[in-house]
Amino acid sequence: MRKGSPLVKIFDWRSLASVLGVLLKAAVVMVFIFPFLWMISTSLQTLRETLAFPPTWIPAVPQWNNFVEAMSAGPFLMYARNSVVITVSIIVLQFAVMIPAAYAFAKYRFRGKSVLFGFVLLAFMIPGQITFIPVYLLMADFGLIHSLWPQIIPFMSNAFGIFLLRQYFMQIPEEIIEAARLDNAGAIKVIWRIMLPMAGPALATIALFSFVSHWNEYFWPLVMTNSEAIRPLTLGIAMLRETEGISNWHIIMAGNVVLVVPILLVYAFCSRHIVKAFVYSGIK
Amino acid sequence: MGKRPLWERLRPYVLIAPAMAGIGLFVIYPVLYLIYLGFYKYNLMNKAKSKFVGWDNFQQILTRGDFYKALGNTAIYTAGVVILTVGLSLIIAVWLNKKSRINSLVQAGIFTPHIVSIVSISLVWLWLMDPEQGLLNFMLESFGLPASDWLQSSKTALLSVIIVSVWQNIGYYTLIIVAALQSVPPSIYEAAALDNASRFKVFTKITLPMISPQLFFILVIMTIGSFKVFDTVKIMTGGGPNNATNTLVYYIYGFRTTNIGYSAATGTILMAIIGVLTLIYFRLLAKKVHYQ
Amino acid sequence: MASIQFVNVSKAFEKNAVIQNLNLTMEDGAFTVLVGPSGCGKTTLLRMIAGLGPQTSGQVLIDGKDVSRIPPGQRGVAMVFQNYAIYPTMSVRENIEFGLRNNKIPKAERVQLVESISETVGLLDYLDRKPSALSGGQRQRVALARAMVKKPSVFLMDEPLSNLDAKLRVQMRIELIELHKKLGTTFVYVTHDQVEAMSMADTIVLMNQGEIQQEAPPHEIYHQPSNLFTAQFIGVPSMNIGDLGVDGVKFGFRPENASLSAATATREHSGPAPHYSLQGTIVTREMLGAETIYQVRSKDLSFMVKSPEDAYHVDQEVVLGVEASKLHFFGFDEIRIPANDPGIAGYLEALKGKSHG
Repeated sequence: MRKGSPLVKIFDWRSLASVLGVLLKAAVVMVFIFPFLWMISTSLQTLRETLAFPPTWIPAVPQWNNFVEAMSAGPFLMYARNSVVITVSIIVLQFAVMIPAAYAFAKYRFRGKSVLFGFVLLAFMIPGQITFIPVYLLMADFGLIHSLWPQIIPFMSNAFGIFLLRQYFMQIPEEIIEAARLDNAGAIKVIWRIMLPMAGPALATIALFSFVSHWNEYFWPLVMTNSEAIRPLTLGIAMLRETEGISNWHIIMAGNVVLVVPILLVYAFCSRHIVKAFVYSGIK
Repeated sequence: MGKRPLWERLRPYVLIAPAMAGIGLFVIYPVLYLIYLGFYKYNLMNKAKSKFVGWDNFQQILTRGDFYKALGNTAIYTAGVVILTVGLSLIIAVWLNKKSRINSLVQAGIFTPHIVSIVSISLVWLWLMDPEQGLLNFMLESFGLPASDWLQSSKTALLSVIIVSVWQNIGYYTLIIVAALQSVPPSIYEAAALDNASRFKVFTKITLPMISPQLFFILVIMTIGSFKVFDTVKIMTGGGPNNATNTLVYYIYGFRTTNIGYSAATGTILMAIIGVLTLIYFRLLAKKVHYQ
Repeated sequence: MASIQFVNVSKAFEKNAVIQNLNLTMEDGAFTVLVGPSGCGKTTLLRMIAGLGPQTSGQVLIDGKDVSRIPPGQRGVAMVFQNYAIYPTMSVRENIEFGLRNNKIPKAERVQLVESISETVGLLDYLDRKPSALSGGQRQRVALARAMVKKPSVFLMDEPLSNLDAKLRVQMRIELIELHKKLGTTFVYVTHDQVEAMSMADTIVLMNQGEIQQEAPPHEIYHQPSNLFTAQFIGVPSMNIGDLGVDGVKFGFRPENASLSAATATREHSGPAPHYSLQGTIVTREMLGAETIYQVRSKDLSFMVKSPEDAYHVDQEVVLGVEASKLHFFGFDEIRIPANDPGIAGYLEALKGKSHG
């Protein structure tokens, strides 16, 4: 190859292969992105356009009215508010519960520790699809079934979070904590000023993870709610199909856009963090 | 150690108390209560009228065709999702392994569906797979291929659900495998190159064993995840047509108000299946998995 | 400023006794170095003073007061850790003032203290940096400043120089000596490096397996090692030891106290014969610049010799000689036999008989 003159290199296989590689990569990405573009396109079409053959790729006139129609099909402002309240409450509650637990599991030695930590790992493995009936009955016994609580407190102990944060805490050198003790810092100060700042990446991971999974939650609210007033956005959108009729795809997609776009925006702005968070959760 | 003050000794328990209360109340207790409920004919209106029925519920489950249908569907679904996802994400991960801007962009793109609600995913695919106006059939036909009934035929419905799940999850597992691949120390590859190993040999003898802990983890997570499939089924098919996509959790869900005891007994069985599968995985694979 | 006393102190981890019934006094204002091989209990003692790993039994007194029940932060001690233990998420300033804040020192005073200390250690320009943006030497200084700013009555240092490169280590050694002179505070310094111990200490406490082997100023520990362990631990290369063959007694001499001469040289030229002499072959030769270290072997004996001359070569036959005054004798119990012991004359005679060549 070395001795070939530049003239022979008119046809360069190597760069052709790399161009093809890039094209193939673009095609693969399209497979995963296109459905969302199609959703947005449909949400702006007229009913006639959605039924047209061949399909309409880009609507002639964007039908912003579809969104109004979708949002007036139910109390969507309330759904959205419920979603926000539920998600934020879960994250706050989880952190309040998780931090002391992770600290104790990382830095104390006590009788029964391994058994108790075993329960945490067990909780990690048992899905809500198995526990929902007893939890529902429990919530009914507590008289909470008409409130948002059944969608919040069952998630108070984030087993994954306790596990991850404990790992992080364990990596913090003992000397740093001892240095703080010599600086006359009590346990709370050590956690708050030393350990939590050092566990920043883990906290961000856990928060993002929690946000994404609870914002998107469908099964749990479906089995925990009996009334409209406490339903989150996901349920509201899923029900659009029943309220709007099966073939009103432009309206259903408009509602869907409302549900998806916030999370896609968050993803677009901190995709690197989210990707890292999810990878981290997978490896550890 | 001299006797430490009581408070010192109690402190760790106090710190973990809220977390353990949460786990006890919302995981351990429900699991036990679920098993207990399985032996009762539970009366939702009047608890006092609940009746102990022994193994009745379980006997009934094991003699009913629709349970076996749901179990079979779940098994097929799980096998399909696990095989397709692991295979495809392994291929894509090896392909996108090299650190570069374009590769991380592609990874982020493939990952997108994973962070979107299953509700949205299901609705979008329902629309794409619409037999009359759906884009998929339009594309099939424009390539001269026969159109499919997708979710509306009992022959293709389960496969369609599998496709959607695989599509949603490939990105996540690709990311994990890429991270695993990149954690293999390059010096090992360099040593293999000096030993004149072929690319195939390097992959089967070095790469795969080195990432086996992560692959193992993926298998466990994916199996458990697939066995509890519900959301896609509920939104896209409602278990139909003709029970073709009825799965265990959907089955349990179906009886949750009408026959709680029966539903709980099915849940107990599902839990047992997941437990046994996990155990088998750990037994079988732990031996073959390479740990540093 | 404070003295430190250990009274009948014992420490056990799980069931393993690391230290048993140890008694030790460190004088007020002294620079005490705890030295010994790893696992000898030196760090354990240091942590007892700090209150980070309290003793299992016995008492630790600081300035005459039993501190066993006083938490670490209120003992008036400061510690510099081997890996510095700098708070990585805080800036240099926050690192230094963290202890002051916890002790509720008013802000104005805090600022003034932090700035004067960081001026002393040369960190004034780095106060707003994060530790990750500092070099190893600068981190070391942060750790020092953080300890100094609290004006402790006892300074504890756990191998603070071991993570620095050789040049910086020598420089910091001198700075620490100066710092001690300036502050006049009690310093307790742990190291496994005898050079550090020798160069810095007022008093060296040499430990092995949880027991104090010798407690003495550097020159004394070097010239009058109280036992075989001390003799061999202090000094590089370590003291040469051989069997006397009488009562289980061993003899020893330092490598720099042996003289070498070529085996062919005639006696007349080499003046009076040394008390102990041995003919042997040079097996290895390490030329270090100012001096050369030879290993001389003769049958089953092998001795190191440190010589200002580099004239000899490997495989050369040489005669090794030691003056009587430079010889040490150790009893069967490994305790050194003092020079004025009546038995010494007999041992010297016995050794003379073992001379060759």
